[in-house]
Amino acid sequence: MRAEDLDEQFPVVTVDSDALDAARMIAEHHLPGLVVTDTSGKPHAVLLASEMLRFVLPRYVQDDLALAGVLGDAIADHATQNLAGKTVGDLLPKHPRAITKVDARASVFKLAAEMVQLKTPLIAVTQNGKLHGVITASRLLAAALKS
Amino acid sequence: MSLFHAVYASTVFLVAYVFIATERFNKTLVALFGATAMFFLPLINSDEVFYSRDTGVNWDVLFLLLGMMIIVSVVRQTGAFEYVAIWSAKRAKGSPLRIMILLMVVTAVGTAVLDNVTTVLLIAPVTLLVCDRLDVNPAPFLIVEALTANIAGAATLVGDPTSIIIGTGAHLSFIEFTANMGPAVLIVLLAFVALLPRMFPGFFVADPERVADVMSLDEREAIRNPRLLLQCGVVLLAVFAGFITHQAIHMEPSLVAMAGAGILILISGLEREFYLASVEWETLLFFAGLFIMVGALVRTGVISNLAQQASHLARGDAWTATMLILTVSFTLGSFINNVPYAAAMTPVVGQFATSIPGHSGVLWWALLLGTVLGGNLTPIGASANVVAVGIAKRAGHPVSFWDFTKRGAVVTLVSFVLSVGYLWLRYFAWS
Repeated sequence: MRAEDLDEQFPVVTVDSDALDAARMIAEHHLPGLVVTDTSGKPHAVLLASEMLRFVLPRYVQDDLALAGVLGDAIADHATQNLAGKTVGDLLPKHPRAITKVDARASVFKLAAEMVQLKTPLIAVTQNGKLHGVITASRLLAAALKS
Repeated sequence: MSLFHAVYASTVFLVAYVFIATERFNKTLVALFGATAMFFLPLINSDEVFYSRDTGVNWDVLFLLLGMMIIVSVVRQTGAFEYVAIWSAKRAKGSPLRIMILLMVVTAVGTAVLDNVTTVLLIAPVTLLVCDRLDVNPAPFLIVEALTANIAGAATLVGDPTSIIIGTGAHLSFIEFTANMGPAVLIVLLAFVALLPRMFPGFFVADPERVADVMSLDEREAIRNPRLLLQCGVVLLAVFAGFITHQAIHMEPSLVAMAGAGILILISGLEREFYLASVEWETLLFFAGLFIMVGALVRTGVISNLAQQASHLARGDAWTATMLILTVSFTLGSFINNVPYAAAMTPVVGQFATSIPGHSGVLWWALLLGTVLGGNLTPIGASANVVAVGIAKRAGHPVSFWDFTKRGAVVTLVSFVLSVGYLWLRYFAWS
């Protein structure tokens, strides 16, 4: 089994996409993260759902986790407030997590090894430099258990 | 050592000092590069660097800092500081002025027990939370907390890195240090509180609905690990008892801090990433580099020469000598990083003090007051200022150089006048 047999179409956003829309996409489709492409459509970075959670928290809670309990349950207000008017590019860290790319002909072992080594829950499959699809860790695990 | 050696050592130190002060390069790398440059010719050898009290690395300072950094790493895990800060804000019943004053008190006490930069890092997130709830600009609060932390840093031997360098270099006991510096710090802080309404006119007004938001905060939720809190409380008390009695128990503060850190690591059971979280290895290396450079200045006779020049200027008069040290320290401490200044001036004052019989102690208090309080003038005068301004910027409330300086200038001027009065009244008026 090759990467091209396993990959699937996956929601992709660009660095200019609206951050709130991107967050809603992750939430509604229960995604582990999103592939971010540059304006030419080339995979640029991975924005994990856990990384996006940082923007749901006020900055001072990120700096001091002891304050998380003190705040109560007003998290929804902060999430909308902190993401409104921002782009996906604004959410990416200064040194964004580079997307792991494998060729469409890569084997399942190669895919699994890359995911384990780089601790990433999703991997981009490319063909001739263009995004062919995305494989998530859960999909790869399902394929491994089936075989 | 020849004149050439002295000129070489002075040049290396001055170039390093300029690079550190202008922050154009990483200060640790500059200090280590300067230290390495002192090994050539050679100006200083390994015996003088590692084993000499006069010219070597001051291990007491490094291990006192290391011990306190480990203790702070563990204490930070408890949420105790956040509890006290929120509890204080609620006791102020939402009045921004009262909240500011109570957060000043928390900052001052925190600084005296921990150190000023750590305290600003701990108090800033709570301040942002309270200001967010009150819908007021947090910048004035952060400026006031940085200024308070700098002032309170002169109150105890562990309050500020410069206090540690000067206090340890002068072999001052913890009690002696606090008994002489504590009253001066208290006077300056009280004057600062009195100045607050004039420094921030029209700022202390809050919407009553927002006040209710502050009152709804539950400070008990900040305590994440009550068992760890108890352990930290007991160990901190023991460490401070050790500091106070260190001469009686024949244990230097550095050993007391390291013992406290070791016990806390052992009984807390925390993982290494937590108990080393606040240890700034770069800062420790920076200090080591500075000590080596200053050691070379001592070895080449530059320091004794400076002390002789100072004695010549003071003409043996204690009051002139005190004012000379206080004024120079306030002036230089205002514009440049005061850590290398403290490291260089400690041996100078040590030798200078021998030429002022009967009043040698007062020169140390003048050096401490000038070096620590002088840092309040500009946002780059002290590390706590840099940290507070950086946090304000990240929170979306940038503080300009001028915004800080016009408040800092008032506090620095008042501090200088009060320091002169304090030194005169306490050490000269009745003698």
